[in-house]
Parts: sequence; C-alpha cells; structure tokens
Amino acid sequence: MSEKSLVHHVYDGIEEHDNNLPNWWLFILWTTIVFGTGYWFWFHIAEAGPGQMGEYATESAEFARRASGNKPASNEMLLALVKDPESVAGGKAVFQANCAACHGPQGQGLIGPNLTDGFWLHGGAPMAIHKVVAEGSVAKGMPAWERTLGAERVKAVTAYVLTLKGTNVPGGKAPQGEPETP
Amino acid sequence: MQQQRIVYDDTTTRRFIFAAVVFGIVGMAVGALVASQLAWWQANLGIPYLTYSRLRPLHTNAVIFAFVGNMMFAGVYYSTQRLLKARMASDLLSKIHFWGWQAIIVAAAITLPLGITTSKEYAELEWPIDLAIALIWVVFAINFFWTLAKRNEKNLYVAIWFYIATIITVAVLHIVNSLALPLDGLKSYSVFSGVQDALVQWWYGHNAVAFFLTTPILGIMYYFLPKAAERPVYSYRLSIIHFWALVFIYIWAGPHHLLYTALPDWAQSLGMVFSVMLWAPSWGGMLNGLLTLKGAWHKLREDPVLKFLIAGVTFYGMATFEGPLLSIKSVSALGHYTDWIVGHVHGGALGWNGFMAAGMFYWLVPRLYGTRLHSTKAADAHFWLGTVGILLYIVAMWISGINQGLMWRATNPDGTLLYPNFVETLLAIRPMYIVRFVGGSMYLVGFCMMAWNLWKTARSGKAVDGETTVVVESPAAEAPVAAPAQTPAWVRVLTGRPLLFAIAILTVTMFLGWAKPVRAVVILVAIVGLGELAWIVTRRDREAGRPSWFALIEGRPLAFTVLTLVAILIGGVAELLPTILIDQAVPAHGEAQKPYSPLELQGRDLYVREGCYTCHSQMIRPFVAETQRYGDVSRAEEFIYDHPFQWGSKRTGPDLHRVGGRYPNLWHYTHLMDPRATSPGSNMPPYPWLAENRIKVKDAPRKLSLMQKLGVPYTNADVDAAESRQKAQGEAIAADLASQGIQVTWDSEMVALVAYLQRLGRGPQDVPPPPAGAPTASVTQEGSH
Repeated sequence: MSEKSLVHHVYDGIEEHDNNLPNWWLFILWTTIVFGTGYWFWFHIAEAGPGQMGEYATESAEFARRASGNKPASNEMLLALVKDPESVAGGKAVFQANCAACHGPQGQGLIGPNLTDGFWLHGGAPMAIHKVVAEGSVAKGMPAWERTLGAERVKAVTAYVLTLKGTNVPGGKAPQGEPETP
Repeated sequence: MQQQRIVYDDTTTRRFIFAAVVFGIVGMAVGALVASQLAWWQANLGIPYLTYSRLRPLHTNAVIFAFVGNMMFAGVYYSTQRLLKARMASDLLSKIHFWGWQAIIVAAAITLPLGITTSKEYAELEWPIDLAIALIWVVFAINFFWTLAKRNEKNLYVAIWFYIATIITVAVLHIVNSLALPLDGLKSYSVFSGVQDALVQWWYGHNAVAFFLTTPILGIMYYFLPKAAERPVYSYRLSIIHFWALVFIYIWAGPHHLLYTALPDWAQSLGMVFSVMLWAPSWGGMLNGLLTLKGAWHKLREDPVLKFLIAGVTFYGMATFEGPLLSIKSVSALGHYTDWIVGHVHGGALGWNGFMAAGMFYWLVPRLYGTRLHSTKAADAHFWLGTVGILLYIVAMWISGINQGLMWRATNPDGTLLYPNFVETLLAIRPMYIVRFVGGSMYLVGFCMMAWNLWKTARSGKAVDGETTVVVESPAAEAPVAAPAQTPAWVRVLTGRPLLFAIAILTVTMFLGWAKPVRAVVILVAIVGLGELAWIVTRRDREAGRPSWFALIEGRPLAFTVLTLVAILIGGVAELLPTILIDQAVPAHGEAQKPYSPLELQGRDLYVREGCYTCHSQMIRPFVAETQRYGDVSRAEEFIYDHPFQWGSKRTGPDLHRVGGRYPNLWHYTHLMDPRATSPGSNMPPYPWLAENRIKVKDAPRKLSLMQKLGVPYTNADVDAAESRQKAQGEAIAADLASQGIQVTWDSEMVALVAYLQRLGRGPQDVPPPPAGAPTASVTQEGSH
C-alpha cells in the first residue's frame, strides 16, 4: 500500500491521496459478487436447490419420522399412566405451565371449566379427555395442544387430569356440562 | 479578477446542533424508559400514553429523525458551504427548514403517544405530518441544490456526493412508502396491502437506515475526519468505487427483513445476495476513514474528537459486517424476531451515529464559538462511558437474541418442542434486559455530560461565523478558455466509458432474471467478458492520460444527481414493480383472505393504535418449530386485504397470526386487562382502558367504503349494513363475556379488539361458515386454471 501522489484537488484544506485498493478488500468484493451470482444461478436458474416450502416439506418429513415412534393413546394406556407416579408428576408440571392459567392451579376452573367436579362438557372417559387436550375445542376456546406439546406430554397431562377427577376442590367453578355416567 | 468575501451561515448549524443535543437526550431517555419497561412491566405505569407499544415508535422516530436528522443537517450545512466556498443560497429557506423540522418533531412527539400512527416502522407518522416532511425536505433540497448552483468550487468533493444521494433517495423512499388514503385528518390506510405493503415498507425501512443514517454520516465523516486528523483522505479511487457500489447495491437489500416470510423466494434471494455484496462497499467507507489516520494514530491518545470519530467508524465496520451476516437466510432464520436485531441496530445507532455525532459536536462547537472545548477530561469520560455502555448493550442483546432463537427451535428427541411455553423463553432472557437497560443508561449519562460540556464551551465564547475569500473571474476572462470547439459536456457525460460499460453490463445482467441454465452461462460469460474489456479500456485510458469521466461528472451536479437517481431506482423498480403488478387475489396455494367484518376492521385499527406489532408478529415462517408453536405456515394470499400489513419484526411476545379461535373471549379479556393472569411471567403491559373506551360506531361504514376504494371487495350493501353487522357481532361477544360474569358494553374497544384477534388466521366471525363441500370462489378459480 504505497502512498500515491495527492490528487490535485484540495477542498477546504482537505487533500486526497489516490492509493490503490487493498487486495484483501478487493478479495471480499469479488468473492461476495461471485457468491451472489452463484447463489442466484443455483437456486433460481438451475433450480437445483429447494425453495423455502421445499425445505419445509423435508423438515416436516423428518419430524414425522421422529414422531412415528410414539404409540397411539388408548383408555388402557392412559389408565396405566395414572398409576405411574413419574408420568403423573410430569403431567402435573405440564399442567402448571400451560393449563393452570385457565383451569386453575388445582384444576378448580377459572376461564376454563372445573376439572374436579365430575361434570364434563365432552365426556370424562380417558380418551375423551385426551381428545380435547390433543385437538382442542374451537367453539369453547380450548387450544389444540398436541401440536405444541407433543404426543407424550399430552398423554401425561391427560393422566394428571384423570387424577384430579372427583377431588372437588373447594371454591371451584360451578359445574358445566353433564355428570359423568359410569 | 476580483476578490470576494464570503461569510458562511453558521447560525443554522448552531441551531441544528442545539436541537440535535436536546432531542438526542429526549430520544435516548425514552429509549431507556422502554428498555426498563421490557425488564419491569410495572414501568408502563398503567398510562396509555406511556405504554411500551406506543412509546417504542416515539423512541425510534426521535433518535432517527430528531437526533440524527438534526445532527446530519448541522454537518451538511457546515461542510457544504465550505466545500463549495459559498454561503447557503437562502437564509429564509434555511430558517424554514430548521423550524419546519422542529415542528414536525413536536407533532410526532404529541401524536405517537396518543396512538396516532400508521404502524409502518420508522414511518409511523400520519399523513398530514408526512406531507409536512415532504414539504420541508423539498425546502432543504432546493436550498442545497441552489447552493450547488452558486458554488465557487468547480468539482464536488466526495462528502457532497453522499449528501446528494441522501437528499434524492430519502425523497423517493418517503413518498412511495407514505402513499395512503386518508379516512380523516388523523387516520389513513396504506394503498398497498399484505405482501406488497411489507415489501414497500422494508424497501423503505432498510433504505432509511442506508440513506438517512449512513450516507449523510459518511459524507460527514469525509469532511470532519480529515479535518480533525489533519491528514489527507486515504484514497480517492476507493471513494468513487464505494460510493457508486453503495448507492446502487443498498437499495436492493430491503427484502432481507422478510426472509422466510410469505414474500416470494426470488425477492428474498435478491435481498440476501445484494446484502452480502454490500459488505465490501460498506467497508470501503470504513477503510477510507480509518486509513486517513495513517501516520497520525498517536493523535488518538490526546484528541477526544478523533476517539469518537474513529470508534464511530469502527462500529460502522462492525455493523456492516453483522448486517450481511444476518441477511444470510439460515442466519436470519435464527436471528429474525429476536433481540439480536435490536443489538445490531443499536451497534449502528449508538456506535456509528451517536459517536460520529459526538465527535462532530466536540470539533464544531469550539469553532462555532471561537473558543476551546470546556473540558477534555469530561469528553474522555463521555467516550468511555459510551463505549462500555454500547458494549454492555450489544453483548446483552447477542446473548439474549441467540439464546431465545435457539430456545424457540429446541426440540426433544421425538421432535416436539423443548420449550413449548413462550414465556419460558422470555424469562430466560430477562437478566439480559436488565443489563441492556444499564448499558443504555450509561450511554445516556455520557451523552448528558456532553450536553453540559458543549453548553459550557458555548457560554465561554461568542458565536462566530466562518468566512473565506474567493477569486471571482469576470465572464470576459472566461470566454476564450471555452472557445476551442469541444464536444458538449452532456455528450461527454453520456458517452463516458464507465457509463456505457455499466449500462451494457446491467442490461445483460437483467436477463439473468429469466434465463435457463444454458443461456445463463452464456450471459455470465458475456458479463465477465464485458468486465474484462472495461478493465482493459480503463487501464489504457488512464495510462494515456485521458481525462477521467468521474472527474467530469463530479463537476456537473445535475448529471451527477440524475445518475445517482437512476442508480437507486434500478433496484427499487426491479423488486417492487413485479410484486405490485401481480394479481394478489389469485391464491397461490390455498384460499384467499375474506374481508374483515366491520367490527373486526375497527378492532384492527385498535391493534394498530396500541402498537401491538412492536412485540407480536403475524407471520408464521415455514419451520416445524414455528408451525408446532403457532399453527400452519402463513401464506401470501391470507393478507391481501391487510392495509397496512401487520407482520411485525420482533417477537417479544408470540406470533398472533393464527391466534383466532385458540382461546375463549374471556381469555382475551383477562389477558388484556392483566396479562399475568393468563400468562404468568409475561412482560406485556396491561391495557385496561380498552374496557372503558368506546369505538366510534359511525366510522364503520366510512371505513368499509374507504377499503372499497383501496380494492377490498365490499359491496355497497356491505357498507350499508356495516353498523348493524357491527352491533350484532359486538353484542354476541359482550353476551358471551356477560355469561361468565364480565360486563363490557358491546361498543367498547375491548370487544372490537377481541373480535379482531378472534378472526386472525380465519374468516370473518360474524357470518356462519359456508356449508362444507360447497364450492367457494377460490376453488372454482383454481379449477379454471
């Protein structure tokens, strides 16, 4: 980087050198231009790479593969989980983090219905509860949780809700729906 | 030949400096307040006018347009006069410019806290203020170009090039992005909608950064840095290359704000590759600044002015490396919507703009008052407080942004979200919000010390105006020089080899947009060939000592301005035009959006008024981690009636695009009254006034008919029925809440906002959904393709 002679102009006392451009700067300039051209060529001319929805399809397939190991829920499986303290404890943690805001910390009901009183809007059978947690109820404003929490957490939280059944927490929300008929 | 004495107008410069310092303190104090509100929600104080979502736009507008704007004008007025050896053309225009700009700032400071906003980031001001901005900008432009016409210096120095680029580009950006139809004196709707509005907005937003916060400051750097260092500028040829590359490339980069959104892939890719190509041109400016100090580095030790200027240029280099990095799609996937972006812009605003301003003020004020700086020690202390403050700020935001971005996408072995609850990811970064508040406050304290120091300096001297003497040649003496028959200058400008080569290369490059692989290879070979030829011809011309074309246009402001305008229009037109001309109503992958019901439209205006977009996006990107958390990927055709779009740019809270129908009305009511009742740990401010305030029921038909004019397919019958439909939908929501013990009137703002939130991602909620299986309009349309 030798100092080149001054350009003849002087502006308000400011002089200008006319040094050559540093090579490393030129390297960045040309590399980024070559990269940009190559990127455009690859994705938009040769169309050799997937677009963003293509990437998403690949990612979704991978997700489906990973989730395929989950066993579908059944009444027996859920009732078995109720007897497993570890699952119930996990379900309780999920409940406190995601459900308590609407159903109350003890399931006594706030915005959402009371889960301790034996009355059910969509049925009190293990799979009926599981369905509402997993798929939600748009009309009642219950979100579908399986998408966000995943199948295993939904099973665990269902098991926890089954343990609340009939605890009749004092001061709970008035009953909604039908009493459970055995 | 005669001597002429020229006295510069430095009064205007002094005024702009005073305004910049005062509004700098205001803008940064509001910044510190909003930063504290993110760490401690109680700092919202329950007052609508002091709520985060209304104040954040005030903070950004104040810092950009009031602080940097006034600082830029001070620098431009001071340096332009000296570089052109001419007093500003009109003292009256200078006065109108100064007082008009301050009036605009005051208007912004009143309207934004009142919730009078368009919700387009950094362009939130409503249409009457937009008109005033355009008017004052034109006054500034006339004053500037008139001074150019009266100049006593043949050629334009590089600082002036940057000022020219600033003036014309900001005018173009402001006018296009502010196009709107007014509903009344304080409310208007963007003429663009959905994807188009998003693209126009970020073309504007990004280039406001480029041409309001960067190019004028580069011009200021080119004047004040060599002045303060008393060293020559490093390289004239570098300044030519980085100027033209910067103005041409910058304008294309806007879509990097919209990576992985519903914007078409091709536009995203253009935004990304041009952002990457911006790296070298930006660093060209940094180099010319830093290397100007070659041989004078020791001055850094004593001179606070140089400390600030050099640190400012260094932060510029850092921000302009980080910018291209964040524009790479996979990096944006992680960084977008997080605090990383907030850290990035503050590296630029505090480091580059703030420090360049401080360096310029410390150099200027003693000279403007014919005295010495009151306290060099205090200036040094300001420098270190500011530097440590910036570092705390940006490091906190890096940690917080990357941390939260990783938490959003973290999964369990079976692919489900590790942190399904959004608040968890917010609580994890709260300590960083406190560090950011501390860093920002330190910077503000330093800035206040500068204000005191400058005040004491000014008080110790007396205002003096600079002057110079120029030799004016009489017209008679000039005539013989012009006599030799020469090609007219405009012909030489238009046939200049750099211009012809640029046109040839750009024309050929344009075809890359459509070419198939084989043809594209031919085109690429042609481009390389043309480039090679240009290189050979340039070398030969230089060796032959032919006059430079660049020197020619640098002596012709009109030619220079037109060429700059063309350079910035190419990128804008190439990206905006195809997107605007496309027929949005044809759904690409799904069902097109249905127009909002009257009440939902009213609620949407409240969403805009309260500034919900400052913390919530409405754009679910195509990642499994996002669709698990928020619902299906957002599609372009779901936003076609969104005037303006509400995609947002930051997720302090979760995305809301598919929140409709997810929760009961009571949940929304509870959440808006006290966010922590439904989301413990949330930092969202409460909005209890929504339950008290009433909407203007009579506005509904007016809003519908305005939307009709903007192309939303409401029928005249819809307009006529607007009030009754509005009432029916409002009463249904109010009745639902009443059945659960909550009493709000059907025409309360709460009900309207809940109506809007409940329809997000779905159709209007006041009409029964069409029976399943019945062919809808969009299905028939698809079938006919």
